[in-house]
This record gives sequence, structure tokens and C-alpha cells, in this order.
Amino acid sequence: MNKGTGVGIGPTAAAAAAAAQKQKTMMHRVDTDIASIVDNFTQLVNVARVNDPPVRNSQETFMMEMRAARMVQAADSLLKLVSELKQTAIFSGFASLNDHVEHRTNEFNQQAEKTDRMLARIGDEAAASLKEFESHYYSSAQRTAETE
Amino acid sequence: MDGNLEISLDKLPVKRLDAIEENGAERYPPDSSYDEKRVSLIRRIDFAWAVEDDEERERKKKQKKSSKDASLTWQWQSMVENLQLAHQELSVIIDLINTVEANDAVTVAGMTRPKPLPNEVLSDLAVCAATKLQCYRQLGKYFKQSAKGFEEQIAREARFYGALIRLQQNWKVKRQRVAAAASSNEGFTIDLFDNSLYDLAAMCRPSSLSTIRVEHDSAGMLAINLPPNSCRSLHFGFLGVHSADIPKNMSKIKTRGSVEQRPRESEKESVSDDDYVKETHSLLREVHQSIFNDQVFEMLNREAFNQSVGVNVTGIRENYLQLSIGQGNTLFISLVPSNKGDSQDSGDTQNIESAIVPSHSFVTGKKWVFPNRTSCEIYLQQIVHENAFVKEKDKPNLSGTQASAQSGKDEPSLLGHFCLSLAHRIFSSRVLTELENVVCRVPYLHLMTHPTWHSRTSSWTIFMKVPQSILHAESRSPKSDLQNMKNSIKSQFCTKVVVNDDRINVEGEGAPNVVGLFKSSENVCSVNKYECDLADLPVIILLQVASQVICWLHEEALTVGIKTNRDFLCLTFELEQGENVSLVAHVNPGDIKGGISWWLVMEDGFAEDWKLQMDMHDGASDYRKFLGHLTLDVLYSTLMDLVSMCGGSRNH
Repeated sequence: MNKGTGVGIGPTAAAAAAAAQKQKTMMHRVDTDIASIVDNFTQLVNVARVNDPPVRNSQETFMMEMRAARMVQAADSLLKLVSELKQTAIFSGFASLNDHVEHRTNEFNQQAEKTDRMLARIGDEAAASLKEFESHYYSSAQRTAETE
Repeated sequence: MDGNLEISLDKLPVKRLDAIEENGAERYPPDSSYDEKRVSLIRRIDFAWAVEDDEERERKKKQKKSSKDASLTWQWQSMVENLQLAHQELSVIIDLINTVEANDAVTVAGMTRPKPLPNEVLSDLAVCAATKLQCYRQLGKYFKQSAKGFEEQIAREARFYGALIRLQQNWKVKRQRVAAAASSNEGFTIDLFDNSLYDLAAMCRPSSLSTIRVEHDSAGMLAINLPPNSCRSLHFGFLGVHSADIPKNMSKIKTRGSVEQRPRESEKESVSDDDYVKETHSLLREVHQSIFNDQVFEMLNREAFNQSVGVNVTGIRENYLQLSIGQGNTLFISLVPSNKGDSQDSGDTQNIESAIVPSHSFVTGKKWVFPNRTSCEIYLQQIVHENAFVKEKDKPNLSGTQASAQSGKDEPSLLGHFCLSLAHRIFSSRVLTELENVVCRVPYLHLMTHPTWHSRTSSWTIFMKVPQSILHAESRSPKSDLQNMKNSIKSQFCTKVVVNDDRINVEGEGAPNVVGLFKSSENVCSVNKYECDLADLPVIILLQVASQVICWLHEEALTVGIKTNRDFLCLTFELEQGENVSLVAHVNPGDIKGGISWWLVMEDGFAEDWKLQMDMHDGASDYRKFLGHLTLDVLYSTLMDLVSMCGGSRNH
């Protein structure tokens, strides 16, 4: 995950360093969360043994609840990390965004030109129709009869 | 305990001799310590009665159980009884211990837990296992609940980001980096400000709507909430014709009226995400248009304060600008909040209707047509967009509509150009009305419109066409091919009327000028150009046409070999007897029967001075005869009659 990858102009050194640092941080977070989940789950499985003193069982119950909460917290942290990655993908894909913007710009320019041509054609047709109507009207028998 | 009382006798606390030794020593039993005495007393307590009672109770209970039905036994009854017995025993022991300790005679040295029985061990183990199993089941439920919540969160995020990505295809989405964001979905804005404005960026400040915050609704989908009446649209009209107030059906473009995004709770269950994104696109587009309208109005306001050709501000207040465009016409441009879409359909219908039927205004019997409001609004937005929002290098070469964005001394500004264009439209409508009035009354005139595609120039041509019957008659007559060709060229005469802003230019073949008088050529009809005002336009046109008719008659006479004298509106024939007969055209714009009437005037040399003193309106004069409003056919026949009377002067 490198910012600016694929852009014509390469990233600056600071941006590259920041991207590398961010990648490292995210990897560390991922490792931490995964390790937390695995570790807590292992502890949960290990606590499955039934002990004689009932007091110890109560103690283990509380510990299991705590481990489960930690697992859920780690999973939530992972989900947040995924959301952050999604945002980065959305807002850092400059190459694709630029291409899309250019494509849309060309589309709209073509549409504008097409509209202009259509308007010009409509104008020409309207002018031709107006000329035809005028000539028909002034040559018509009705107009002649009116004037007579 | 039964009623029998058992009595036990203790030995008297007298020291009894235990033994005598041979030496005579007496041995007494040793003195027991206090503790030993207490222990001995305790040992003497007989619990047999209690045990017997218990046994009896058990026997009785068993008898009761056997006597009862099996369905009435409770499965936990035995356990309850055991617990009660155990409790009872414990209570006795505890009371005893407390008594002993209270009396300070005996102290409890220690208690050892009895060794549990196998069934007790197993039952304890079962309880522990069940407890742990229950704990794991609760954990399982917790995990399932959390997983469900995560799935819902993922689904919401997928919808949100999916919609955001689709919006990003068309709009500029920005992310605000919030330090302590509670959720990862916050901090998005859509930037609608166009920073590529050519000349306006330095002048316009960003609108409050330029940045729109993306929020969430209850379903997790993105939502855009706008304050009410935040979107505004341009409202244009002519004072006296259109109301300056906000009408119910405003003639404005796209009055969707974005107030607030409709909440997801109201019947939105069936609306798909695609439709929702489309609606959001439409909403953003309306906001974008509103920002553009704000910029347009601000630019117009700035230009109104600069003196420019065509700009005459007669009123100004908040979001309202009133301008005078001359000839008693005043227009207003205002910025009004877009209504909610309740009148959208009717507004669109009204827009269509108003686009077809122009608005009329009757003033003092005269009728002129105001330009369509919607077309004016579109035109205003178009010229602003082309000249202020398009970069210099991309500016199209539209000489007809382009106006300088910078107000110079000579060139009008955009606002000035707009006002001049509207003034020209109104004036040209009046000119057209006058031309139509003239053409309608003269049968041999045809009016033809020439679209100039220039907002401040209009052009018409009035044709005077020689009837085909005359042309056919000429073609059958024995004439040379050269003369036939000449006649075919002169089958129509043109008078061109061009209006630039409010100046009328008339150009056409007509009366002979000074240059033409010195020409020996037969063709003495030259092209004249002159300006006139609206009031004189009908007269000018009629004069032009009449002169063209005279010119045509003159050419026809020359064609048949008759030499005639042509004056401005008079064609004079010399008869055989030396008398002159003149065919004179009389122009009257107010004549409803026709603008051009004809007189036949006989001129005799010795009676000429006397005739000048006669009443010109006396049609029954011997030397002047009113012929009426003649068509070209009749005029041609009259010409031929006059030609036949001039047989002595014919040239072959």
C-alpha cells in the first residue's frame, strides 16, 4: 500500500516515508490484534478444565469473560483498521480518479459539442422552416384573398 | 424424648483411697484437671435419645411414603430431607461447641473434614462441569451477538462507502482527519466550489453551501442534510409584465427545491441504494446550480456598480436588482429561495407553456412582445458561464453572444450586453410588427426573416416580386434572349432592413440618386442605405417599395421601347399629342386598405401652373384621376395601356 503509486509524477520522499510509516503502523496493529485474539482464545480453551475447588471455577469464569471481551475488542479494532484501509483506497487512488475525471470531462465536452451542434442544426432547420412558411404564406391564395 | 426420666448417679466428690502400698503409703487417684473434668462431663452426655428419635422419625416417614402414591413424591424430597437432617445435626454440633466454648470448659482442638464419598465427589464435579458449561454457553452467546453486530457494521460500512465511491465519481469528496473520531465513517465533506473559475474566483467568496457535510442516517447510509431554503435560483422578469414577488409557479429552471434529504424512515424501505444515490446526485446538482446562481447574481451586482454601456440601475436591494433598458422597459433580476418540489410539475408545465406563448403587454393600443422569461434566464446564465467560467484558452469564438467580461469604456460589460440584447429583442419585435403591418396591406410584398444568430442584430428582407403571369407574358413576347435575361433578373426587388441594437438601417433599390442621374445606363436604380427610426419606418418602406415599382414600370416601358421619364414616385409618359401622362404613387402608412395608392395625372404645358393651385385631393379633376390601390398586374396593364397611347414614341 503505497500512496501515489502509479501516478505519473512519483511521490516525494516525505510522502513515501509517511506512507511506509503508516504501513508499518498498520501492520503492527494487525499483528497485535491477531495475537490478542489468538492468545485470548487459547486461554479460553485452556481454562476448560474443571477444577475441584468451586472458588477457582468462579475465578476462571470471570477470567473467561474478560478474555472474551478482549477478543471482541481486538476484532473491533481490526474492523476499524479495515475501514481505514477502505478510506485510504477511496481517497488515495488518484490515478484511477484522475482517469475517471478525464474520461467524464471528455464525455461532457463531447456532449456539450453535440448539444451545440444539435442547437445549430435546430436553428438552421428553424430558419429554413421559417423561410418556407413565410414563402408559402405570402404565396398562398388565402393571403391573396385577404389582401384583395 | 419419652416421659421416662433416667437418673444417673455420680460419685461423691470425695477422695477415695485407691490403694495402700506395703509401706503403708496411701495412693489416691490423681486429681483430674479442669479440662479432664469437662471432657468427662461431655462424654457423659447421652445422645441415644436423639438417635432413637431420628430413627423413629425415619421409620415413620418411610411408612408415610409407602402409603402415599408414587405420583405425589417429589424427586428432590429425599435431598431436602437429607439436607434438613444435616442442618439439624450441624445445628446441634454448633450449639454444643458454642456452649462448650462459652463455658470455657472445652475448646475445639480441630476439625477434620470428613472424607467425601465417591458420589459426593462426582456430584461436586458434575456441578462444576455444569457451571463451566453454562459459562461457555454464555460466552458463545456473547460471541454470536458481537459477530452479528460486526456484520451489521460491515454491511452499513459497505453501503456507506459504496455510495460514497459512487458519489466520488462525480463530486469532490474530501476527508476531514478528526483526531478522536469515534467511528471511522465520520469526517467526509463534498466540496462543490469550482476553483477553476476563470475570472470569478478572485471576486466571489465561497458560498456557504460550497462544503456539504456527509452524515449518516439511522440505517447507516450516507445522508446529506441541508438547511431549509438554502438553495436559491435566479428569478427574472419585466416590471409591469411579470410580478417581482415570488410567484407560485416561478419561471425558473429546475425548481426541485432541496430543503432536506428525506429521512430514511419514511417509506424508504423499498428504495434501493441506486435510487438513493441518484437522488443524492440530483440534490448535489441542485446545490451546485444554486451556487452558480449565487455567483451569477454576485457578478451582476458587481457589474451594476461599474458604469458600462447599457447598464442603468434603477433599484437595488438585497438579492434584487432592477435595471432600465430603455423605451420605458424595466427588468428585474432577483435571487429567491427554491421552493420545495410541490410545485415542480406545474412549474415545469408553466415553463413549457411560457416557452411557446410569449407574454404580451398592451400599452396605449400598441402591442409589443416581451422576450420569454425562461429564454432570458438561460441566456443570462449562458453568457456568464461562457465569459466568466470558461478559461481563456477554451473560450469559443462566439461573436454573436460573446461579450467582454471586463467593462471597458466602449464595450459593454456582460450585464450591459445582456440589457442591450433584451432591449434589442423588444425593439426588434416592434420593428417586426411594423413591417408585418406594412406587408399585410400590400399584396405584392413578401417578408422574409433572416436569422442572424446575433443577440443584438436582426434582419429582414421585403421582396417585391413580379407576378408570374407578367413574367410568362414577357417570355412569350418576341424579344431577344438578352432582354429576356434582363427581365428574369429583375423579377423581384429587395429592401433589406437591419436592426443593430436600436438603430434601423434600410437598404434597397429605390429612388435614383444624384449619381444615377448622370449615368447614361438604362439601369438607374441604385442601392440606397439610410437609417431611420421606428416611427418613420413604415413610410420609408412604402416609399422604397413605391420607388421600386416605379423603377420596374420604367424598365418594362423601356423593354417595349417606350421612353419614359422617371422621377422619385412618378413615371411620366409622353403622348403623341405632346401631352404628358404621369403615373404617380401616393404613400400613406395610415391607409388600412393599402399603403400605396396610385394616381394618374395628365400634364399639359399651359395648364400646369393653374393645376398646381387646385386641391390635390379632388379625385374628380380632369387632370388627375385616382386609380386606387393597384396590384402589379393592374399596374402592368395600365402601363401597357399607356404604352399603346405612346405609339409614336416607341423605339424598336
